[in-house]
Amino acid sequence: MFVVVVYDTLAQRNPRILKTCRHYLHWVQRSVFQGELSDAQHRSFTQTVKRQLDTEYDSVLIYRIQSPQLVQTETIGQHPGTTSPVL
Amino acid sequence: MTAATRTYWLTEPCRIRRADNSLRIERPDDTRVHIPITDIRDLVLFDHADVNTAAFSLLNHHNITVHVLDHYGNYSGALTPADDMSSAPVLRSQSALTSNSEQRLAIARSLVHTTAANVIWALDTNLLANPLEQLTEQLAEASDTEQIMGAEGNFRRSSWEVLDTMLPPWLRLNGRTRRPPTNAGNAFVSYVNSVTYARMVTALRCTPLHPSLGFLHADTDRRRNTLALDLAEPFKPLFAERILRRAAAQKTLRKSDFESDVGRASLSNEGRKKVSELIRTELSTTVHHRSLHRKVSYEELIHLEALKIVRLCLEDTPYKPFRPWW
Repeated sequence: MFVVVVYDTLAQRNPRILKTCRHYLHWVQRSVFQGELSDAQHRSFTQTVKRQLDTEYDSVLIYRIQSPQLVQTETIGQHPGTTSPVL
Repeated sequence: MTAATRTYWLTEPCRIRRADNSLRIERPDDTRVHIPITDIRDLVLFDHADVNTAAFSLLNHHNITVHVLDHYGNYSGALTPADDMSSAPVLRSQSALTSNSEQRLAIARSLVHTTAANVIWALDTNLLANPLEQLTEQLAEASDTEQIMGAEGNFRRSSWEVLDTMLPPWLRLNGRTRRPPTNAGNAFVSYVNSVTYARMVTALRCTPLHPSLGFLHADTDRRRNTLALDLAEPFKPLFAERILRRAAAQKTLRKSDFESDVGRASLSNEGRKKVSELIRTELSTTVHHRSLHRKVSYEELIHLEALKIVRLCLEDTPYKPFRPWW
């Protein structure tokens, strides 16, 4: 599945979420990640994130799309991150 | 190997570092790219890279192979993780199979014959009917792998000539040369063939097969893995010949994509990017598989080829080398 993750957490918890996201997904913008995950990866990702959040205050949005072909992305302005496997 | 993972192509000189239990690629222009470790199937290095033990132990932990290609596109080796797929019954029957010269020769013959048919398919030509006939005769007479390889060489020579007729003059091969490739066309073919071989090594790592117990190639072929070389053979025309023909027809490749010198040629920085992009899109092309009843990518076809050998070892299913059916 294709996943877009957007997080909004307390500043002191940001680095931990950032590290978890980096482990699974591509950084595209400040606090926005995207990438393809298998079901198992998705499960372990959500579990890890849950453990690191204060659910009273923080929020993490995960958009799930069945395949990346269904996503049309339009960028206005800068491309801060890269998701291409050719580096 | 999960379906979601991808191959990463590092076309520029870079540093591979471990950061937050994931990978960070540092490039000479001071840009850093974090790539998620769970998304990597393997890495292909086209240029100098600097890996430290911290990064390497992480790669090893996630079972990621790093393939290294040298300046002229020759496969110069791999950093392979510890083998965790080994299975004694498979290995035992694989070694029995490859030491039985009759079976070994039969598979070698069918590999060469199928490769020739694939070349004709990739070139879409009827100019090679005669060489194919000769090859079939020579294969029937051949009594060891060296003679089989010789027969294959004769066929390939005519097939490269036919390929030349489809290319613009500056891209023509004028005879296949390697180590180093002498012109642009040869450099391209070297790169693509090494990548095909690298794909096969990755596929074999997902099976319990030993990559160096093979059928066709000599056992000590520049310390490369015989089985991977053998099984990559039928796929080479699918990539090298076809991509080269298409790139020439669509004028995707330019002279500036190659660094040509007297008697040697290699891809330039831009060329490497372009070629790896070409191969990447080609590998992700899908076709309908007739017995799996679903679409499979070319990458997966390579994996299925390795599985065929596993089935040959375990279940005695006759091995039929890959042949495009579409």
